[in-house]
Amino acid sequence: MGSSSKRRKDKQKDFQKPKLKVGKTKAKPDNYTDTSFKSKSIVLTQQSLHLAAPTSNATFTHNLSLLSAKSDSQRRDSLAYLTTSISSRPVNSPLPQPVSVILPSLLPLILDGATSVRTQLLKLLRTLPPGDVEDHVAQLLPYVRAGMTHLAADVRSSAVEILSWMVEAAGESTVSCAGGWIKTLNCFLSVLGWHTEESSQWSSSRASFGKSGSQGKPMVKTLGALAVFLDAGIGKPSVDGVDSEMSGDDESPDWPFPLCQTAQHMISDSSTPFAYLNLFGKPRDEEGEMYETREDRYRVFSTRFQPAIERGIKSAREEGGELGRASSGVSKVLKEAIAYGPGP
Amino acid sequence: MVKRKLGALEKVEADLPNLQHKIRRDPKSYIEDFRAQHYQYESHREIYMAAPSSATDTGLISLRDLIDFISHVADCYPGICKDFPQQLIDMLMQHHLVLETELREKLVGSLVLLKKKDLLDSATLLHTLFPILVSTPSKTLRALLFQKILSELRTANSKTTNHKLNRTMQTVLFNLVTSDRTSAKGLWAIKITRELWKRQIWTEAKAVEVMKEAALSQNEKVIIGGVRFFLGGDKEREELEDEDSEEEVNVGQVKHQLTINKKTRKKARTAEKAIKAVRSKERKKGNPSPLNFSALHLLHDPQGFAENMFFKHLQNGKSNLKLEQKLQVLQLVSRLVGLHKLHIMPLYSYFQRFLTPRQPSVTSFLASLAQASHDLVPPDVLEPLVQKIANEFVSEASAGEVATAGLNAIREICVRQPLAIEETLLQDLVMYKKSKDKGVMMASKGLLSLYRDVGAQMLKKRDRGKEAAMSLRAGERQERRYGEQAAGEIEGLELLAKWKDEERRKKNIENGLPSDAEDNDEENDEANWAAWNVEDDEDSDVDGEWINVEEDVDIVLSDSEDEGKPASKKAKQEEEDKKDADKEAESAKEIDFMKLATTRILTPADLAKLTELRAQAAANATLPGNKGRVAAPWTSRHTDDPLTAGEIEGLAALSAAKATREERIAHAKEGKTDRSEHMSKEARRKERKEEQGKSTTNKEKARKKNFLMTLGKARSKNKRSLVETRAVLKAHVDRGKRGGRRGNVGQ
Repeated sequence: MGSSSKRRKDKQKDFQKPKLKVGKTKAKPDNYTDTSFKSKSIVLTQQSLHLAAPTSNATFTHNLSLLSAKSDSQRRDSLAYLTTSISSRPVNSPLPQPVSVILPSLLPLILDGATSVRTQLLKLLRTLPPGDVEDHVAQLLPYVRAGMTHLAADVRSSAVEILSWMVEAAGESTVSCAGGWIKTLNCFLSVLGWHTEESSQWSSSRASFGKSGSQGKPMVKTLGALAVFLDAGIGKPSVDGVDSEMSGDDESPDWPFPLCQTAQHMISDSSTPFAYLNLFGKPRDEEGEMYETREDRYRVFSTRFQPAIERGIKSAREEGGELGRASSGVSKVLKEAIAYGPGP
Repeated sequence: MVKRKLGALEKVEADLPNLQHKIRRDPKSYIEDFRAQHYQYESHREIYMAAPSSATDTGLISLRDLIDFISHVADCYPGICKDFPQQLIDMLMQHHLVLETELREKLVGSLVLLKKKDLLDSATLLHTLFPILVSTPSKTLRALLFQKILSELRTANSKTTNHKLNRTMQTVLFNLVTSDRTSAKGLWAIKITRELWKRQIWTEAKAVEVMKEAALSQNEKVIIGGVRFFLGGDKEREELEDEDSEEEVNVGQVKHQLTINKKTRKKARTAEKAIKAVRSKERKKGNPSPLNFSALHLLHDPQGFAENMFFKHLQNGKSNLKLEQKLQVLQLVSRLVGLHKLHIMPLYSYFQRFLTPRQPSVTSFLASLAQASHDLVPPDVLEPLVQKIANEFVSEASAGEVATAGLNAIREICVRQPLAIEETLLQDLVMYKKSKDKGVMMASKGLLSLYRDVGAQMLKKRDRGKEAAMSLRAGERQERRYGEQAAGEIEGLELLAKWKDEERRKKNIENGLPSDAEDNDEENDEANWAAWNVEDDEDSDVDGEWINVEEDVDIVLSDSEDEGKPASKKAKQEEEDKKDADKEAESAKEIDFMKLATTRILTPADLAKLTELRAQAAANATLPGNKGRVAAPWTSRHTDDPLTAGEIEGLAALSAAKATREERIAHAKEGKTDRSEHMSKEARRKERKEEQGKSTTNKEKARKKNFLMTLGKARSKNKRSLVETRAVLKAHVDRGKRGGRRGNVGQ
C-alpha cells in the first residue's frame, strides 16, 4: 500500500498540459506515423522515349494492345482510333494488320460492360471488309451467343446488333458454321423468351430478371435480327444463286470448250474447305454440327423450332404496336420459307 | 475514391448470386433466365475449350462464376443440366494440367457439390478424382483432391457400409500399387487406406491386401509406408477410438446452463446437439462392438508374405533400404513370424551377423530376434544365437548396459522357446544375480525366475527355489518337449466349477442335507436352463461394476527367497501333510472342472459369471502377499503386442553411474509438469486463492495493513492509563465470551 502516492503521481502525469516553447518545434503526438522513406532509385514501370514519332503501323498495334486496358474510356478511344485508321486508309490497300490478328482482341469486347465501348466496337466491325470476316465467323459466334444470353440487357441487345451485322456481312457462313444454326436459334428463343408455351404468352407474368435495359426496344431489334437470320438460313435462295447453281451444270464461260466442270476441281477459295470433316476438333453433338445446305437447315428448323417460333410470332402480333409490326417481318420470312418448302 | 452508391435496381443487374437466390425460391418462374445462363455457360465453355491456355481474365471469371451458379441450382432443372456433370468431368480430366488453378479447384468443388445433390454417383466422382490425384504435379490440387476423396468415402460409409463402393475403390488402389511397383504413386493408395483404416471405415482383408502389396513394392517410400501401417496402424486406430470416446458432453450441465443463461437460438441448438450426441453414443454402447481384427491377423498367407519380405528387402543384397528402414522391415517380419508361428529358417542365420555390441541400434535387432522366436522354432537353430549373445554381450568385462541388454534378450528368447539355451550356459548366466550392477542383477534374476517356472531341472539345485524344487520332487512338473502343446481349455473354468460347487453345498446345507450329497440333477438342470437368458434374471450382478476383493487376505510383504524365520519342524511337517491333501484334492478338482466343460453346455448366465469370477481373481492376484508373488511380467503380455528395444534395454538406467543432483531433480520434475517453482504449501494455497479472486483472512489483512495507519493506535496505546488498559482488557475478555463483536446470540 506504500505505492499509493506514487500511483497518484502517475495518474496526474496523464492530465498535464504539454508545455509549448517559443522557437521549438511542436512535439509530435503519440499516434504520429512516420511516412518518409528513402530509396536508392525510383523506377517508372513504363517509359518509352523515342526521338522519332511512331509509325502509323506501330500506333495501330499499340492501340490494339490497349484494347484490354482497365479503363473503359481508354478502350473506347483505342477502338475509335482503330476505326478511323481502318476507314481512312487508301482504297484497296490492305489492312494495317490482318483480321486474324485484330479479331482475337476484339472478341472479348462483345461482352464488355461499358455501352460506349460496345457501340464503338460495332462501328469498328462495320468497317472491316466483309470478305475477311467470312473466315472468322466461327470464332465470332460463341462470343455473340454469350452476349445474347448475358444477364445485362444492354449487352444482349448489342450482341443482337452484332449478329445482324454478321448476317449482313457473311450470311451464308454464319448460318452454316459449326453450331451456327441450332445454337444461335436457341439463343434467339431464349432472348425472346419463346422456349415454352407458357412463357411465350403475352399475358403470362414472366418474372423478368434484371433491368430491361436503357436502349429502347430490345425486343423489336431482336425480332428484326431474327428475321434477317432466318432469311439467311432458310430463305428462298436468290435468283442469282439459282442461276449460278444452274450455270454450274453448264460449261462455264470462263473455261474454254474441252474443260467442263473444272471449277469443281480447282482449289477451293474458302479458307477452310474441309471444316465439315472436323478432322482436328472434338466430336460434335447434334447442336454443334454444321448444317451447310438450306435443306438440312430447313429440316432441323421445321422439327425443332418452327412450332415455338410460330407460337411466339402469334403472341407478338397479338401484342400489337411496334412489336406486332416487327413480328410481321419475321412471319413474312417464315411464310416464304415454308412456301418454298424443303427445297427444289 | 469513394464507392459510388448503387441503386437497388442497378444492383440487380448481372448478379448471379441474386439470380441463384431467386431460383432457389421459385425455380419454375425463372426457368427462362436459367436457360439463358446455361447457354451463356455453354458458349463460354466453347470459347474456353477452343484455347484453354490463352483465356482472358474476364472470360475465366465469368466461366468460373457460371459453373458455380449452375452447380448450385442444377438440382432445380435436372432436364437442362443432365449433361452438366459429364461436361465438368471431361473438362477436368482432359485439361487438368493446363487449367487455371482457381478454375480447377472450382471444378472439383462443383463436382463434389453435384454429388451432394445426387446428380452424380460417388463411384463416378471417385473414378474422376483419383486418377487426377495420382497424376497431377500440382501440390495444392493433390491436397484438395485427397481431402475430397477421403470425405467422400467417409460420407458414403457414414450410414451403412457401402460395400460396393469400397470394393471398387480398393480394387483401384490395389491395381495402382501392383501395376507399377517402382513408382512412388502407390503412396496415395497407402495414405488413403491408412486413413480409412484408422477411422474404421475399412476393416476388411482387401484393404490389408493393398498394404501387403505396397510392402512388397520396389519403391522404398512405398515399402516403408506399407510396413509402418502393419506396425502401427492398429495402434493408431485404437488411439483414435479412445479419443472419440473421451470427449464427454455433460448433458446436465448444458441443460442447467440453458435455464440460467440468456436463451438464444444458438444455445438451444448446441444443447440439442449435445443431447443427440449423448443419445447416439448410448445407442452405440448398446450395439455389439464390431470385431476388429488387427491387420496382421487379416493377412492371407502370412508365411508367403513374410518370406517375400525377408528375401526381397533383407536377404537381397540389391535392396537399397537404409538401416532404419531395414530394421522396420525386420520388425514386421519377426512379428509375423512370432504371431503366426511361421518358419523362415534363413532369418535366424541372418541375425547372426548383427549380434555384436558395436552394431548400431543393436537392441532393436535383439528385440526382433526375440519376437521371431516361438515354441516351434527348432532349438538347435536358436542355440547358436543365444550362445553368441552370451559371448558378445554378457561378461564381467562388458559394460553394465550391454550385459543387461544381452541378458534381457536371452530371457525374451527363452520365454518363447525355453529349449533354446543349454544348461551350463543358463547356470552361468544365473550366476550374474550376484552382480554389483543393479541392471545386470535384475536381468539375471528375471532369467532365473523364468526358468523356475518353465524348466527348473536345468537350474542348479540351490537356485530352484522352494516351490519349483518341491513340485519337481513330486514329479508333477515335467519338462515341456519340443513341439508339445498344452491342452486347450476355457480360461477360468476351474473358478466356475469351484463356485458351482460352493453354491451346491450352500443349498444342501439349507435343505438340511449333508453338504457332499449329490443333489438331483434334473432340478439343477432346470435352474440352469431357466438362466439361459441373461437379461431375465435381474438380480444377478452381471454388470461387472463391483468386483469382490477378498477381505481376509493378510497382506504380508516378504520375499519368497529368504523367509524371515524358519518355521518349526513340526509345523513344517503339518504343512506338508496339508499340502499333500491339497494336491489330491486339486487333482480331483481338475478332473471335475474338465468334466464341467465336457458334460455340460455353458449357459450365457454361466459365461457371465465366468467373466465376473475371472475379473475378481485378477483383482485378487494383484494384491500384495497373495500366494507369495505377483505374476511374472511375461505372462501378462498379449501376443499381439510388439516387443520394443526399450524393453530389451530394460533397467539399463540402473547400471549407469549415479545421476547428479540436477539430473535427479529433472527426473523428478518430469512427472510433475504443472508446478512452476518450489514453494511452501501455504504459499501455493494463497496463490491459488488469489487467482480465484477469493478474499484474504483477517490475519492477513492485519499483516498487510499500512504501517502509518497502525501508528496512531500504537502511540495511543503507550499513553493509556491503567484504568483504560483494564477497561480494554475486560472488553476483550467479554468479547471473547460473547463470541466476537457481533456475538453469536442469534445462533
